[in-house]
Amino acid sequence: MTMIAALFIQAILVFLLSPLTIGLVRWFKARLQGRRGAPPWLVYTALLTTLKKQQVISESASFVFRFVPFAVLGTAVFLGISLPLLFSNGGLSHVDLFVLAGVLSLGSVFLVFGGLDAATAFGGMGASREMTIAALIEPVALVAFSAFAVVAGSSSVQDIFGNGTSVFSHPALVLSFVALVLVALAENARYPVDNPATHLELTMVHEAMILEYSGPYLALLEYASSIKLTVFLLLLGNLVWVKPSATLALGTIGLAVLGVLVTLIVGSFALAFLESSIAKMRFFRLQEYMSVAFFLSLAGFILVFLL
Amino acid sequence: MSFFSPYLLFAGLSFTMVSGIVALGGRAMIFHKLSQALLAVSGLLGIVASVAVFLSPEAGLRLSIASAKFSPLFGLDMFGAVFFFLVSLASVLCAVYAVPYLRSYQTTYHLPSLNALVAAFVFGMQMVIVSAGPLSFMIGWEVMSLASFFLVVSDRSAESVRASLLYLVMTHIGAAAILAAFLLLAQGSFFADFSALVDLARIAPSWVLTVSFGLFLFGFGSKAGLVPFHVWLPEAHPAAPSHVSALMSGVMLKIAVYGFLRVMLFILPPIGTTASLVILGFGLLTALYGALYAVLDRDFKRTLAFSSIENIGLIFAMIGVSFFAASRGLETLFISVLSAAVFFTIAHALFKSGLFLVSGVVIRAFHSRSLEKMGGLAKRLPVFSAFFGVLALSAASLPPFGPFFGEWMFFQSLLGHFSLHDPFVNAVLLITFALLALVGGLAIFAMVKLFAISSLAEPRSGHGSEVLSPPSLGEMIPIGVFAVSVLLLGLLAPAVMTLIRGETAVPSPWLLSVGSADIQPSVILLLVFACVLFVWMLRRLASRVEHERVSRRWDCGAPINASMEYTATAFSAPIRFFFRLMLRTKKIVAVKPVLATNPWITSRSFSMNLRSIWMDFGYLPLGRFFIGLSLRVKKIQSGNIRFYLFLMFAVLILTLRIAL
Repeated sequence: MTMIAALFIQAILVFLLSPLTIGLVRWFKARLQGRRGAPPWLVYTALLTTLKKQQVISESASFVFRFVPFAVLGTAVFLGISLPLLFSNGGLSHVDLFVLAGVLSLGSVFLVFGGLDAATAFGGMGASREMTIAALIEPVALVAFSAFAVVAGSSSVQDIFGNGTSVFSHPALVLSFVALVLVALAENARYPVDNPATHLELTMVHEAMILEYSGPYLALLEYASSIKLTVFLLLLGNLVWVKPSATLALGTIGLAVLGVLVTLIVGSFALAFLESSIAKMRFFRLQEYMSVAFFLSLAGFILVFLL
Repeated sequence: MSFFSPYLLFAGLSFTMVSGIVALGGRAMIFHKLSQALLAVSGLLGIVASVAVFLSPEAGLRLSIASAKFSPLFGLDMFGAVFFFLVSLASVLCAVYAVPYLRSYQTTYHLPSLNALVAAFVFGMQMVIVSAGPLSFMIGWEVMSLASFFLVVSDRSAESVRASLLYLVMTHIGAAAILAAFLLLAQGSFFADFSALVDLARIAPSWVLTVSFGLFLFGFGSKAGLVPFHVWLPEAHPAAPSHVSALMSGVMLKIAVYGFLRVMLFILPPIGTTASLVILGFGLLTALYGALYAVLDRDFKRTLAFSSIENIGLIFAMIGVSFFAASRGLETLFISVLSAAVFFTIAHALFKSGLFLVSGVVIRAFHSRSLEKMGGLAKRLPVFSAFFGVLALSAASLPPFGPFFGEWMFFQSLLGHFSLHDPFVNAVLLITFALLALVGGLAIFAMVKLFAISSLAEPRSGHGSEVLSPPSLGEMIPIGVFAVSVLLLGLLAPAVMTLIRGETAVPSPWLLSVGSADIQPSVILLLVFACVLFVWMLRRLASRVEHERVSRRWDCGAPINASMEYTATAFSAPIRFFFRLMLRTKKIVAVKPVLATNPWITSRSFSMNLRSIWMDFGYLPLGRFFIGLSLRVKKIQSGNIRFYLFLMFAVLILTLRIAL
């Protein structure tokens, strides 16, 4: 009973707060760059407005194009429900790091389908780049998470957090954690892999794929990417700061909610700070980024055994 | 059941033969239909026979000749039944598919001989599995190889002839190696059956075991497509008619895996660490190389063939890890990885056969195998491309489809054995884990390319308005069955695993567990579908559905056409660039000025071809060396008969010297 209640609280909290995360990142970024910035809750208004608008469908698009927003948001919802984000032992058991990596890839694959199906060059370009990033970042995610799994003694995400495993549990995990940060940046189409605010089609990855989407479908896709960012921030946050385990006591729930809020604020500030201080990488230099991420994760994994 | 089950096997084999004979009746369509029907019946009998073995694993099925001095020549045990089931299932579905599919190719192929060869091919594969001794095993193997050689050449184009000759050479060197290994083990006796071989292998000196292991690895590996013996595979599989490609890639490769495992598990004594690392090394190399070329290739069927190479590499890597575990005394790792390998083999047979059947319809629709001309199938043939999408996603090993759970078991068992305090084991498992994770990512890329480029957007060949010939019901049903079966395989993964492992006590029919880790495939499947459905319902509640209009793509005000779309070459360009040190591509961009006065106005042409490093640095120099050597040897052919007589005499003396 406690677990089901915890699941509901987590789902409601994550799905409600995720647009705020995007808004916070944008607001912090504007502040850091000396602009006034839109209020963080503008994202909610923007999403609701987009949801009400008429949508235009490309005449070349097939049923796949219409299925993509549901599949992409569906995988994001899957992640938001099944991972232990609010409490250290929340989420669903039987969801381990391989399912996590697989579902993430599934979401990317459908996004790629949507990008290609509109039959424009921009969509294809974004799709090709996204697929490259997704294909090369998946092994990094697997290897980096495996280091945590070995330290925790279980590959289930619930057990990793439930056992109180954090980045401080083992010195080698610092490397794996940095690799996971690189994974998170690439998966969420942030600097230095992608520029989420670009208006130049040639530098886009994520934005180029969803260029042909409008109205409700666009809202679904935007919402999915905000959930994904929130989930990643909370996952990384949970690896730094061990959350309490689930009880129905008001104090615990309050502490957990506070934890989520603090994680999101700190995480979005860190992301905004990073995005304000570095430049986007040229796409064809990303192999360096991917290699660094891969070898960092591998080094973390090896050092878990050596140290 | 137990009374007539041996006859099931016999009936299954005879129906295959009768199918081949009937096919030779003539060019009339009735013979074609009848022979495919008989083949389907034979497959159904095979399925029943395999299920009979699954139900009573201890007994197995035996076909014995009562009064002969020989021990039973043919039989089906639990291990063979798994593979026999795959052969039977694939041959039923391919037979159903072939009835309408070959109707459109009556002028391209000579149907009577094609059907007879398909029957012979299936018969050869069935015979390999039911054989209980090297003699019948090799006969079945040769029937299978020769029939598939003629099937590759069946469209009689120059390209196919070249591919088939390459195949013939490679497969016969492989068959010779297997035969040599059997003879070496049996000390020259051809009639020793497998049980006798076990005893002989136990007392054989270690050099015999080492040499025969090497020969078996080469023989079965060259048939399965292990790099660097794979060069024939991407040429031969695409050249055959699509339902034959499905049998070759989906099933024949599994026969090679079957033969290898049969020899390794049941005949040779346990192999050492070095030998298992050799298998693992070949497997990893094959998986990485196959995945890279599957990403880069621009031909629909060649992409599938390279993907088969990658999957075979994965299977051999799993086999290598399991033998490595056995040689280090890790019994649980041995069992769990080996069963994951068999599970993945089953999964591969299903999705790869399905994808090759898909390729037949796709290629007929576009009149080309080139991905650069494809596109727009999803809009024109929605149901077909939905099946195609399911098969492609499952080939990419994504959840919630069957193959994902095979990889899950493999990775999970690796992860479960890291904590042991043996640095050597850890190093091997770690390298395998990291490399196969990378291969997994590339495999997703390859399958997404295959599906997205051929099915989405507008056709790239220009004739976009042309109505594609829709697949008939007979073609849709087998494809649909394969698509549903990969989903079912995921759902029923725990049951299939208990069957493979031969366990009797089952904790829960829905729980798949490896060591301490467990997973419920049904929960994952339901949850993924439930989330998508949930989102779909929310959208219908939150916004008006019909509030939309169909319009042109965003085109910046200038009309855009299909030639501006991303092609397969462009789509895979980043991977080609990132891995350029490991690949050999030859890209030529020719710039020709149009006006002498203005250097900026130019016409450009682009061409690119993919080279194979194994061909360029391996086979071609080897071929040149042998041709050069032969030219040298030719010098002694002076035409002088007395010299020839002298040579024969010298050889005789030499032979006697060695023999006595």
